[in-house]
Amino acid sequence: MIRYVLKRLLFMIPTILLTSLIIFFAMKIAGGDPVKQILPENATVEQQENLREEMGLNDPLVVQYARYMAGLITGDMGESYVTGKDVLQTFMERLPMTLALGGSALIVACIISVPLGIYTALNQNTWKDTTGMVFALFGVSMPNFWLGLMLMLLFAVKWKLLPSQGAEGPEYLVLPALTVGLGLAALITRTTRSAMLDVIRQDYMTTAKAKGASHRRVIYYHGLKNAMIPIVTAIGMQFSLVMTGSALAEVVFSWPGIGRLVFESIDKRDEPMVTGAIILCCILMSIINLVVDLIYAFLDPRIKAQYSNKG
Amino acid sequence: MSEKILEIKDLVVHFETDDGCVKAINGLTLSVGKEKTLGLVGETGAGKTTTALSILNLVPSPPGVIKGGSIELDGKDVLQMSDKELEHMRGNDVAMIFQDPMTALNPVLTVGEQIAESIMLHEHISMKDAFERAKEMLKMVGIAESRAYDYPHQFSGGMRQRVVIAIALACQPNFLIADEPTTALDVTIQAQVLDLMKELIEKNHMSMLLITHDLGVVAEVCNDVAVMYAGRIVEIGSTEEVFNSTRHPYTEGLFDSLPNLKEQGEELVPIKGMMPDPMRLPEGCTFAPRCPYATEACTQTVPELRKMGGTHFVACHAYDDPSFRLRRNANG
Amino acid sequence: MSEKKTVSVETLNEYKGRSLAQETWRRFLKNKGAIVGMAFMILLVILACSGDLIYDFQVDITGFSADLSESPSLDHLFGTDQLGRDIFARVIYGTRYSLIIGVGSVALGLVVGLITGSLAGFYGGFWDQLVMRANDILYSIPNIMLAVVIVQLLGKSIGSLLVALSISSATSFAKITRAAVMTIRGQEYVESAYAMGLPTWKIILKHIIPNCLSPIIVQVTLAIGSNIISASSLSFLGVGVPIPIPEWGTMLAEGRTYIVSEPWMCIFPGLAIMFTVLALNLMGDGLRDALDPKLKR
Repeated sequence: MIRYVLKRLLFMIPTILLTSLIIFFAMKIAGGDPVKQILPENATVEQQENLREEMGLNDPLVVQYARYMAGLITGDMGESYVTGKDVLQTFMERLPMTLALGGSALIVACIISVPLGIYTALNQNTWKDTTGMVFALFGVSMPNFWLGLMLMLLFAVKWKLLPSQGAEGPEYLVLPALTVGLGLAALITRTTRSAMLDVIRQDYMTTAKAKGASHRRVIYYHGLKNAMIPIVTAIGMQFSLVMTGSALAEVVFSWPGIGRLVFESIDKRDEPMVTGAIILCCILMSIINLVVDLIYAFLDPRIKAQYSNKG
Repeated sequence: MSEKILEIKDLVVHFETDDGCVKAINGLTLSVGKEKTLGLVGETGAGKTTTALSILNLVPSPPGVIKGGSIELDGKDVLQMSDKELEHMRGNDVAMIFQDPMTALNPVLTVGEQIAESIMLHEHISMKDAFERAKEMLKMVGIAESRAYDYPHQFSGGMRQRVVIAIALACQPNFLIADEPTTALDVTIQAQVLDLMKELIEKNHMSMLLITHDLGVVAEVCNDVAVMYAGRIVEIGSTEEVFNSTRHPYTEGLFDSLPNLKEQGEELVPIKGMMPDPMRLPEGCTFAPRCPYATEACTQTVPELRKMGGTHFVACHAYDDPSFRLRRNANG
Repeated sequence: MSEKKTVSVETLNEYKGRSLAQETWRRFLKNKGAIVGMAFMILLVILACSGDLIYDFQVDITGFSADLSESPSLDHLFGTDQLGRDIFARVIYGTRYSLIIGVGSVALGLVVGLITGSLAGFYGGFWDQLVMRANDILYSIPNIMLAVVIVQLLGKSIGSLLVALSISSATSFAKITRAAVMTIRGQEYVESAYAMGLPTWKIILKHIIPNCLSPIIVQVTLAIGSNIISASSLSFLGVGVPIPIPEWGTMLAEGRTYIVSEPWMCIFPGLAIMFTVLALNLMGDGLRDALDPKLKR
């Protein structure tokens, strides 16, 4: 098991290397001229040239990339051209905000979707099922940021119950978390329902009933334990979506997280900030994916055996 | 006649699907004597599994609906039982062995847990004690106790079927339903599993309903045989009676389509045609369209079971004519 | 359970003579939601094609009028925006952009995904590793950030939006194709085709592609919907379709500033996106049930 984790961690290295390579060169091409961004507008050509030489911008791109990667290993990811602040530090300052938003959204999503998915599956083809599924279908069909705008319109503008912009207290988290959470909930409800429907039909459920287990026990002990595997897969697959959803919600609700940081930096062509933030996002996602895979091993003995065998 | 542990009378089970009503069981009557083994024989789709599930009142619903009839288990009608009574009965009084051991076990629980669950549910003892008992059960079916901590995917098909048997016998039920317990297994393993079941049944004085399409298995294990066709019993009697003085044309067809070692040169005689569509059963005797002896009368009314002597019953209009004999019997 | 097997065998017998496509179509027509979805999509396609006949781009869509910021009324069903443009007209006219971007990006992604996925699935080894690694990388960057970088790289235009969106669809098509090809490659009928001496390309074309079509058809329908949402998200962030083109996401970006005073500017373009995607999802769900009847009931 430990060897499996180590192997996965090793596999992350080429992924991160390639990602950084792509992002680095893309941003070198797409980003603006850093010298003009840093120096005041009335700077002389000589001043510009000096700075360029000093920053190593006249070296070939490959050399610049090597230098960047060397810095990455020691945690030095450069400084923002716009604010002059350390990239890694800025990212780390913003990270808790995104984690808070993503985490609470995930909690909202699970609280709603897992029970609803099971409930609709158990009442398949009744009006309860249909109602639940229609809600879920609407949920997956609307752009998440628009749902955010609508929630803002109702709760902040119309009823004035909740704040809509900024992050000055826990109440500021409610609307963004609901926005991202409801969108996710719709998706996970659909997966939970079909996972549960699939499990209900399995032979081992009949075996359990034939043993004399009660309906409750069959569903929640035998059924859910099996259905959890595809449900966790579904949730695990949505992490990319959590990040995307959070990023958009951060823009809508002016929540100072990573998503907004990236979009603002791209807008300002703040190359080191964008490159750094995206590489760090990539590392974060890889770690989350690994954690999700390890959760499977706890849920499914077949996968656990596979991990151990593979070493 | 001896005492009965199971008596099914006029059972009707339909599956009501979007495409139409599937008439799976259409007035089935049979009984199993105490400490006797009844073989239920028929083609795939004859309604054997549905019969088995009906006895536990486990017909999947929807779409399955038990339309009528009664299933008396030791004198108590299963179809009238409350949920509590049903839960108490299942596993404790009646247990079932399923056809496919690859899917009948829960993949995320250890086999020990699965055997122990049954004991824990019925004897109200702690999981820990139940687990110890589960180990004993494993030993009984010939699996090392230490393997109680393993998961189903770590076992071979034959071993899994032993686990399924251990689950079924964990609470020492009086009556066992075995739904094609050996069909999914290799031939060599089939014999092992069958021997094990036979031994355990005799040891525990149990009765059994053995569902199979393998007449060889019936000859080896069963006291009585019931032949099923399109949701009805067409012939029932002791194994001796049914095998040696076959009465129903369908049963004759089943025997004729078996390869016979003694007469290797002879061609097999398959039953022509297919099972009728259970959504559109023919009028009268459902076997009539495939029956070489069929007459006008066969397409009019459904034949009732009639006594042919001893415990032997057959549902066939041909015996309205007292001189009627099947070819098989006429030839020798 | 033996009874159920009989049903399916009998059902098959009943439909003997009808092709699989006809059978799928028959089941699709039974699904009310799918029919509503399809009808709505047909309506949208007609609207998208006829937008120019009803409205003048210069005058109605990007022009100005004196009816500034009017709330919805009979004159202006969806109200007007800060420049007096009729939002109903803009939403109708905007249909074409969403449809073109949705269909175009999926088509692009489908071609790339089909080729890479079947290479990976059929040949395995090096190709498989290459495609799967590439997928891993794309999977570990949040889609929207990647899309923003790509648009930034290629410049703001509908074309670069198409490319950016097609990348995330390509990965999912590649994954589905790879999985389908790998399952089908191992099936006995493919092995028997090999045994009969059929060349590889014929096997891929005749046996493998037709058999992995169903999951792909379903994914195409669903991907068009999700790409329409992604496109509107990018426009909302200001890296999609530029102002004053009435793309629905762009309209939302404009409307966001006026959400307090003119909320209808935000409500209607969003509803347009939602109903379009809803129709596509209904169709996709209907297709999935029709193509794989086992999943239903």
